[in-house]
Amino acid sequence: MTSGMNGLVPALRAIAATTTAVVLATAFPAFAQEEPGMEVKDSYRFVIIPKVVHPWFDQVNNGAMQAAQVIEAQTGSKVEIVYSAPQQADVVQQNQIIESSIATRPDGIAVDLLDASGNRASLEEAVGQEIPVTIFDSVPPEGMELTSIGNDFCEQAKLASRRLVELMEESGQVAIMMGVPSAPNHAIRAQCHEEVFAEYPNIELVATGIDNDDIETAQKQAAAIMQANPDLKGWVASDAAGPIGIGQAIQEAGKTGDVILVGLDNLPEMLQLIRDGVAESSSSTRPEMQGYWSIMAMWQQAMGIDTPKYIDTGIDFITKEDLE
Amino acid sequence: MKRNPLALIAANPLMGVFIALVIIFAISIAASPHFLTGYNMSVIARALAFVGLITIGQAMLMILGELDLSLGVIGGLCGVVAGMAMTSGGLPPIVAIPACLLLGAMLGALNGLLVSILKLHSLVLTIGTAGVFGGVNLVLTKGVAITGMPPEIQFFGRGEVYGIPVPFIIMLVVLAIAVFITAKTPFGRFMYAIGNNVAAAEMLGIKVNRIRVLVFTMAGLLAALAGLLMVARLGTAQPSIGETWVLAPIAASVIGGVATTGGVGSPLGAIFGASIIAIIENIIVLFGVSPYWQGVVSGVIVVLAISFDSASRRLIRKES
Repeated sequence: MTSGMNGLVPALRAIAATTTAVVLATAFPAFAQEEPGMEVKDSYRFVIIPKVVHPWFDQVNNGAMQAAQVIEAQTGSKVEIVYSAPQQADVVQQNQIIESSIATRPDGIAVDLLDASGNRASLEEAVGQEIPVTIFDSVPPEGMELTSIGNDFCEQAKLASRRLVELMEESGQVAIMMGVPSAPNHAIRAQCHEEVFAEYPNIELVATGIDNDDIETAQKQAAAIMQANPDLKGWVASDAAGPIGIGQAIQEAGKTGDVILVGLDNLPEMLQLIRDGVAESSSSTRPEMQGYWSIMAMWQQAMGIDTPKYIDTGIDFITKEDLE
Repeated sequence: MKRNPLALIAANPLMGVFIALVIIFAISIAASPHFLTGYNMSVIARALAFVGLITIGQAMLMILGELDLSLGVIGGLCGVVAGMAMTSGGLPPIVAIPACLLLGAMLGALNGLLVSILKLHSLVLTIGTAGVFGGVNLVLTKGVAITGMPPEIQFFGRGEVYGIPVPFIIMLVVLAIAVFITAKTPFGRFMYAIGNNVAAAEMLGIKVNRIRVLVFTMAGLLAALAGLLMVARLGTAQPSIGETWVLAPIAASVIGGVATTGGVGSPLGAIFGASIIAIIENIIVLFGVSPYWQGVVSGVIVVLAISFDSASRRLIRKES
């Protein structure tokens, strides 16, 4: 009996081992494929929708293309980036682009919101159609759980306005150039500039222009404000186009050196203004990094992986020394 | 006696633009698998609805031989005033909406009266009034959107009936009324008569100024309606509403066979033209056209559509 049992035990072990192996071989791969990030896709298509056709957003797109190349190189999956920009900074136009993009069933849409509340209905449509949405360079609509990529807009503005106050030795008239007033990032920067100026009793905020993120408008507004305020000593801006227009107006008025400009962002024209001594410095976002991480976030979301609520891409402070 | 089918087609001036629309539609279906889907059709219909309402008003003015470049701004201003009335003003939508439609009609009437009294060309005058209305919009809003719209108005902008967007249904109803007025009533015939020859119309006893003011009033009313529907769609009153409604309705009317010199065309043709523009705007995104090429691509398609319309009319006349 014992010898019989002795013969049975190895046989039972063999059956148990085989059964376990079969169960693991069949069950584990199925379990693994259901886990987020385990399914391999041959291709991805991501849509980038900026505020408007603008060189700053071309830099965002460059970063997005770089991320696509990295994913392709590392995984072999083909990644297509569709860059679709409104011709005007108009929330109606931007919503039409969002909605038309939803119709193409992309693997993700990244949007720089012109107006969080005005964009809300279109974003909800995308989410409702189970298309991953990522926000960059702006703040998501209240109550919508979307990953946003950008920097601390208030900190960026305060770096610029504190620098201006320091250069003006805490005394004199200043002006702010507002971008698109309904754009949350522009509004936050303008508000934070005001907060800094309010801390200094001898700093007087005499004017706020609105340029709608357009260089020509910024130039006209800045020229008019300097005409109306001949004692104006300093400028800060809330968008990328603003400081370029202000710089042009300072040059045309022959006030280079008399009026101090602390700019925003790192467009080639902005950097040239710093080299030419028209602008003293610039507090800059990192647009390439915003594009890069927008794609990375959408790629993760497309695989079903949760992404952080906020990714901070940081701020650069650019002076003439940095450009030499 | 059997009539030549080409002659039958030639008898209908809308046929050229309609065929151009069908061709663009067919090419879009063939070129993009995403085009002919229920969702995408509703996207196009909704986009068409807002600009379509302005197009109907502008087409009626163009038939009369006039233009109103302030219609988009009237739409934006009325949207903003309605937004303020319903939020900070505390007025219920049932009061605020009719009041703002009335405001739009009054601003349109003001344009008509100034054109009639000052004997100015409407193009020049409405450039000025557009500046004034746009300026008031900025003064009221300081360029910042008004939020907190009552949720009950959202149905008019976001709602659907049997899958058809509500703004599109409203636009179709307005179109039917406009087609009826222009084609079936003495008022419509007077509009064409004035557009063809003002002096002759006056000699015939047509009250030119009264009809002019009425058509401007209708156009202002439609602009306000478009602005209000857009506020309902967005859930906010954006000061930028209407900024893109200036040239597109004129282009749509011209594509649809409405002559800028007056007396020719119909609101239906103008809506065909607006449909062509709406489809172009949609397929540019579906095809992923670079934003730097979008103006070129849409411009070329519009030129081709107008050329096709013109060439087909000439060919049909020659054949028949």
